[in-house]
Amino acid sequence: MRSGSGWRLLAPALLLLAVAFVAPVGLMVPTSVRPYVPLVGITGGFTARHYTRLLTDSYYLEIIGRTLVLGLTVTGATLLLGYPVAFFLARTRSRWRNWLTILVVFPLMLNLVVRTFGWIALLAQNGLVNQALQAMGLVDGPVKLLFNFAGLLIGLTHIFLPFMVLVLIGAIQNIPRDVEDAARVLGASWGGAFLRVTLPLSAPGILSGSILVFVLTISALVTPRLLGGPTYQVMSTLIYDEFLQRLNWPAGSAQSLLLTAMVLALIYVSGRLARRTGASA
Amino acid sequence: MTAASVRTWLLRAWVTLVFGFLMLPVVVIALASFSRTSYLTVPPKGLTLAWFAKVLGDAEYVHAIVFSLLLALMATAGSVGAGVAASYALIRRRVAGAAGVAALLNAPLVFPGVVVGVALLQFYAMVHLNGTRLGLALAHMVITVPYVVRAVTASLQGIDPEIEHAARVLGASGPVAFFTVTLPLIRPGVVAGALFSFIVSFDNVPVSIFLLGAGQMTLPVKIFTAIEYGVDPSIAAISTMLIVLTGLGLAVAERWIGFHRFV
Repeated sequence: MRSGSGWRLLAPALLLLAVAFVAPVGLMVPTSVRPYVPLVGITGGFTARHYTRLLTDSYYLEIIGRTLVLGLTVTGATLLLGYPVAFFLARTRSRWRNWLTILVVFPLMLNLVVRTFGWIALLAQNGLVNQALQAMGLVDGPVKLLFNFAGLLIGLTHIFLPFMVLVLIGAIQNIPRDVEDAARVLGASWGGAFLRVTLPLSAPGILSGSILVFVLTISALVTPRLLGGPTYQVMSTLIYDEFLQRLNWPAGSAQSLLLTAMVLALIYVSGRLARRTGASA
Repeated sequence: MTAASVRTWLLRAWVTLVFGFLMLPVVVIALASFSRTSYLTVPPKGLTLAWFAKVLGDAEYVHAIVFSLLLALMATAGSVGAGVAASYALIRRRVAGAAGVAALLNAPLVFPGVVVGVALLQFYAMVHLNGTRLGLALAHMVITVPYVVRAVTASLQGIDPEIEHAARVLGASGPVAFFTVTLPLIRPGVVAGALFSFIVSFDNVPVSIFLLGAGQMTLPVKIFTAIEYGVDPSIAAISTMLIVLTGLGLAVAERWIGFHRFV
């Protein structure tokens, strides 16, 4: 193996990253400690105000809390919906298997705005879900499903479910079927074998799938914006408004760095966890 | 019925329900795009192709489609070139700190899209790249290159390096050996990486929306802003076209390279 030409081959990619990723993200750090005066703009000097407000002001704390709760709920929902599907796809001997897997991939490849748009049509006041609920006599009047937690939960669960299923398929496929059979032969019930053998062995997949969905959920912009509107904010839509509406770039930079720190911390912790359990995440 | 068959039946029912949930918005959009009404309704009231004609006759939509396609092609060409070279270096050459380099190449995928978007908005304003096509193309290359690296390194790891060595021993130069021996062997990975790149670029909103200059508009940002202004069946029509094209593209990719292996 030669080493000199290695860096030459890496140069185009590293140069691209340096110019259009490392420098831009790095420069948010100095911006985030600049004072901002309304109608004047960014001024010289130093202030930690954008960070202290973010961590003490109840308006921001509510948005941060909401983002995290949404991340947890969406992760739980995708796990619940997705595990049986992944189990089925990992174990089925059907010749349709590959095409069913592609059917899981399809929504993933379909334009995100288009998928979210479908949910607007479904969840609106006079949308299909409300029509169905009323026709079945389950509710008297239309239920509010847009611009609130329910709308974001449903939309984001739909958007990120394929990621969870695909990660879990990989994890469940790696479990030899013999281990389950052995548990059954040794007298375990199907439920017992599943709970004590299959489920724990798929834990690394559950962990990495959950981290992935959680990180994607708290990072998502398009779906929360379209289903939450300008009033029901999460961290990413807050950053969006800070930069494009309020033009307070220092505050927006501080929010961006906090969101990034949360994402990176999670990935770091999950990496440590996975290494400790001897699994590859 | 035995317990096992009840279990199988329950599992299948659950799987069917979840697939129904996954496909529900897609089906609703497709149906709503044929409605004669000026509002979204399912099942469609009357059948018409007028909304499709309206979209295809709308200069703004046509411009956005062409702009998005050109941008995605440029981004894909750039990220495949840089990504294949980088993957080859990481797998076949001894590079000090290879793990760190690999992590850096993957970073744009890990960082929230909105953060990459606003960071570039500020940086481009400083270096006067704001509103330029070059700036937009570089941004799209950065967010697509991780997909190329991932697919191509996976392919390279499955290939015996001795095959390329053999070509070198038989007298082929380094580039000739790479292009005639290794590249054909990793073609599925390169194709998958290019497909991912194209789709990721063509779909992107969180980065594009901060960088588009005057007279520039990508298709997803156009649809995004159209929805914020108000919903009508022409949005469903353009969405239906994307659904059909995505479905066809995916079916072709599956037959061609077994696309599901790369996801």
